[in-house]
Amino acid sequence: MSINGNYFAGVDVGSLAAKSVILKDGEIFATGLVPSGVNSVESGLNALNLALESAGLKQEDLTYIVGTGYGRVSAPYANKAVTEITCHAKGANYLHPTVRTIIDMGGQDCKAIRIDQDGAVVDFAMNDKCAAGTGRFLEVMAGVFKVELKDLGAIALSATDTVPMSSTCTVFAESETISLVARGEKPENILNGIHHSIANRIAGLFSRVGIESDVFFSGGVAKNSGMKSAIEQALKVTIVKPEIDPQLIGALGAAVIARNFSKKEGLWAA
Amino acid sequence: MGKQLFRYSEANKEKFLESDNITFNDGSTVSPEEIWHYLTEEAPAKYPSAFEVNLYQGNRGSRDETLPTSLKTRYLGLTFSARMEKAKDNGKSIAFIQGGQAVDPYTAADTIALRPGLVNQWNNGLEYGNDINKENLRRKKSKEKAFHDMSFEACQTGGYEHVQAGDLRIDVIAPYTVLRCSDISYGVEAHRHGPNKNVKLLNVDYPLRFQADKPWAIEYFAKNLRRLVNTLDEVTGRKTSENDLLKAIKLHNTGRRLGTELAELWWSADVPPTNSDDRASMVSLGNLEVHGDVQASLSVLKEAKKFIAERVKNGVKGHAVADNPKRLFILGSCVGINGSRSEDAGAIVVGRDDQWSHCSSLVEEVGDPFYNLAKATLEYPYEQSIEKRAQWTIEQIKKSRADGVIFIHNWGCNTQAAISRPIVDIIKRETGIPTYIHERDLHGLRDEQEQNRVNAFVEML
Amino acid sequence: MSVKTLDVIRKRLEERPDELRRARENGLKVVGWVGYNVPEEIIHALGFIPVRIAIGGDDRLVEIGARYASSKTCVFIREIVGAFAENQDPYIQQTDILAFDATCLQNYRAAEVIEYFFKKDVVVLAVPRNFHLDEAKEYFAHEANEFTRLLEERAGAPLDSARLAESVALYNDIRKTLKSIYTFQASKDNVISWEEVYDLIQAGDLLDKREYLSLLTQTLDELKERQHHPVIASDDGDCRIFLSGSLIPRGDRKLIGIIRSVGGRIVGDDLWSGILPHLDLDIKEISPAGVALGYLNRTPHAALPYLDLESDRRLKKLQERLSEFKAQGVIYHTLRYCDPFTFKAKETKNVLAKSGIPLLEIHTEYAGSDYEAMKTRVEAFVEMIKIKSEIAEEQGVLVDA
Ligand SMILES: Nc1ncnc2c1ncn2[C@@H]1O[C@H](COP(=O)(O)OP(=O)(O)OP(=O)(O)O)[C@@H](O)[C@H]1O
Ligand code: SF4
Ligand code: SF4
Ligand SMILES: [Mg+2]
Repeated sequence: MSINGNYFAGVDVGSLAAKSVILKDGEIFATGLVPSGVNSVESGLNALNLALESAGLKQEDLTYIVGTGYGRVSAPYANKAVTEITCHAKGANYLHPTVRTIIDMGGQDCKAIRIDQDGAVVDFAMNDKCAAGTGRFLEVMAGVFKVELKDLGAIALSATDTVPMSSTCTVFAESETISLVARGEKPENILNGIHHSIANRIAGLFSRVGIESDVFFSGGVAKNSGMKSAIEQALKVTIVKPEIDPQLIGALGAAVIARNFSKKEGLWAA
Repeated sequence: MGKQLFRYSEANKEKFLESDNITFNDGSTVSPEEIWHYLTEEAPAKYPSAFEVNLYQGNRGSRDETLPTSLKTRYLGLTFSARMEKAKDNGKSIAFIQGGQAVDPYTAADTIALRPGLVNQWNNGLEYGNDINKENLRRKKSKEKAFHDMSFEACQTGGYEHVQAGDLRIDVIAPYTVLRCSDISYGVEAHRHGPNKNVKLLNVDYPLRFQADKPWAIEYFAKNLRRLVNTLDEVTGRKTSENDLLKAIKLHNTGRRLGTELAELWWSADVPPTNSDDRASMVSLGNLEVHGDVQASLSVLKEAKKFIAERVKNGVKGHAVADNPKRLFILGSCVGINGSRSEDAGAIVVGRDDQWSHCSSLVEEVGDPFYNLAKATLEYPYEQSIEKRAQWTIEQIKKSRADGVIFIHNWGCNTQAAISRPIVDIIKRETGIPTYIHERDLHGLRDEQEQNRVNAFVEML
Repeated sequence: MSVKTLDVIRKRLEERPDELRRARENGLKVVGWVGYNVPEEIIHALGFIPVRIAIGGDDRLVEIGARYASSKTCVFIREIVGAFAENQDPYIQQTDILAFDATCLQNYRAAEVIEYFFKKDVVVLAVPRNFHLDEAKEYFAHEANEFTRLLEERAGAPLDSARLAESVALYNDIRKTLKSIYTFQASKDNVISWEEVYDLIQAGDLLDKREYLSLLTQTLDELKERQHHPVIASDDGDCRIFLSGSLIPRGDRKLIGIIRSVGGRIVGDDLWSGILPHLDLDIKEISPAGVALGYLNRTPHAALPYLDLESDRRLKKLQERLSEFKAQGVIYHTLRYCDPFTFKAKETKNVLAKSGIPLLEIHTEYAGSDYEAMKTRVEAFVEMIKIKSEIAEEQGVLVDA
């Protein structure tokens, strides 16, 4: 065991947000969340420093750091890089050992992950490269309706009808939305349609990997109540209530893996 | 939410009641009285989506109410699902086929043949009370799953999900693997891993490359047709004879002739005697397969000719058609443009190559019916080399006096997309008529982008 | 670890376009073939120089191809069409005649489009979809004769049976030698990598066949000298990947590079740009039909449908090879709009899952924009396999103490 103590960190630099989690004695000790900038090294460090500051720690105090997310390839501060798929699996398993299925919706990717009782990935699928059905897409829609991102889901939930979207491409969907508004459809009904259309795409993704309870919803979009409800309907499941901010799950998983790595250094070194 | 529904006006009722009965395959008939009742009472309650006044999805607030055929094809369309259910309850066998083919051998083998569009129609009609939004949502939802079960680059899924779930009682998947369609043979193959083990599978293997000039290719396709009939017989337990096929060919030739005559009559008029959708639904009766009932299609078709002749003679213009509309000829596969919205933009659709290609291919009635049918099938203009297909298309464009040509294909329709440019090139070169290539977005819902482009093209004309 | 003959082959490939140009100046004709069931021996025996046109990985050409063949044609065909439009590829420049087959309809459309736009002399071999039925074989025999007749017209001489026999013998030797070489790459302490063997196989698409055979023989001798009895088994830390799906032609090394970069080791493939076309080719009769049927009777290309899962020889072959090469996972590569392979991805995955082999589908095109996304998937897949074997070995890192 390292002399530095028992601090382990996970840093998840995603396409839209950088997240960090510091673990101490198996407990979440501090967290950080910042938007991803162009420089992913900086974004990762910002997120990490935020957590370090709030914990009153310095980087040297950390025993082991695992980097994940798109920024993992350029994370000189990390001892090891692991993909976010493995990390989300581990993070969800750590908090909720009964979870067998994870939906991660982040800024540009949507992932369907199946795990076993150890939190090891048994199968996964990701959306096609198209952005429709991701956080970025929802942000564009929030922009179209000039509403706050955090209110988007609640607005969709207040709908009285569901207007289907025909376009599957972000660019087209944006202009289609504008024409739907022009022909007098209500914003909440259109937004409801958008949420359901994304949920159906996710259901499609799961037809490739299957679903097993319990189901966990991670990533920033998991904070969107409309999305959560639409997915529950489309998949006919109940989503587990997260114990922490679901956007941090990837970073948490990375921190857990950091702890495991430090115990058995080299075992899984490629 | 009280969406506005269209209602047929009582003012036209009397005239409609003077028209003929529709006679079905099983010998039963339905009177105009019953049809009227269905269209004004029963159907609006069952299928509000079909009556919803929604300019964007192609349902205008008015119809060609003085054209009885318009009401009758609508009636057949709306009762389709119920009729298929009834046919199944009565032990009739149903096959899934391809859009670009005729159905003579299926008729001979006493089997209803449904192309992808009809399979979807059957499924859509199984649920009552939906408005347009609900119906579109339902369709998108099941497609999304099917796309993942097959391929998310499939243009359409041919009801795969419903056949496999047993919701649609289809006994056999046996399409011609015509070149028109890139996905069809993979779509057939996909059924092998579904849960429904009862559905029989067969690809009726359509040869390529100058096929009509190769005797061995015709022989091969004739053998495929025999195999098809045997497969259909395995389902029905009947034994289809050569004579049965000959009878079916004769019947279908009658339909094809009538369909062709009707189209030519329509083209002969100075002003379009009907709107785009009515034209299309009448001409497509010629293949006799469109409503899943050969006799019903035939009886409506026969009568239609009479009405059109009358309109042409009196110079009557179809309902909601603009004065001097721009005449569009539509090429491509499976999909068409939105008729009524294009009319609002000052255009009219005067023809399509899809369906028309095989409607205009008559089958020789003397000699081995399998060979004759094979030969005629390998001669489908749509299936020929680029140059030959283009020349045939040009003839049709000229006959229909089109002002513009739109090649539209589905997202994922690889084999049509691949030659859209060469075909359109030749047409432009030889006729000077403006052309436009359009791709329908995935999931096949019509959208604003598409209409904007079509409208812009019409304005350009 | 380098094998010396491979350097010779690389050099010979560089010289090849010039060599073809000189051969053509001396009156020989080059037949460029594109497809999956083109019976190359017939082309060879007629005195043509056969060259396989299979290139990929260049997004710019794909864009150009889309102008002619639409953006909805598979990426591979778009690139081929684009390459003909541009006419810069040294092999395309040297072709006099093109031979296509209609195994895949998109390949067939490419023939039509290239013929129309670039005024090429194109010969097409039609291929039946019901390939396993007797009547289909009979029909295909006719098509093979027709194909031969069209080539004879262009050769100005009939096909000579003795020459065909020679060509068949030569090609049989090539196939046999390739198969032996292939075993070495999958072995423990291998001196040749799968990647090198893959390039070696593709060199055969372009080089003179006799010379190619002698280079293969040299390679095999070299391998035998260094590694007497190759044993197919894992080295430490291997994550043994089998590559399946749409072809990966020369010029496209994106996925292969990614697999290696994240610590995966490719140990086998059943790609139509790899070893598969060289397997199970049994020519029973020296005639155009005999040769063509030999091709058709191989493990069939994915564009030819099997309507009954039980009878599917493709899947059987895949399973056999997975165990032969001791693969731990399959990366199933599908190109954008390649329906033959894309339609089968899910089913193949389900079938293999029954024997505990995971499958990852990578759906991609030639643009570099999905590089990171692909890498994440492949890396996660490799992690998944490694963790799985670790957990199996001892309760590994991912299990909390
Ligand atoms: N309160 C909120 N309500 C709704 N959505 C939110 C909220 N907070 C963040 N999001 C969404 O979460 C997304 C970012 O999530 P996350 O941090 O998981 O993505 P990422 O890891 O950067 O992306 P990826 O995993 O695709 O690379 C944003 O696109 C935003 O739309
Ligand atoms: S869109 Fe094209 S590929 Fe699809 S079913 Fe229609 S014809 Fe076939
Ligand atoms: S098999 Fe796939 S990659 Fe090859 S030509 Fe056909 S669609 Fe293209
Ligand atoms: Mg993320």
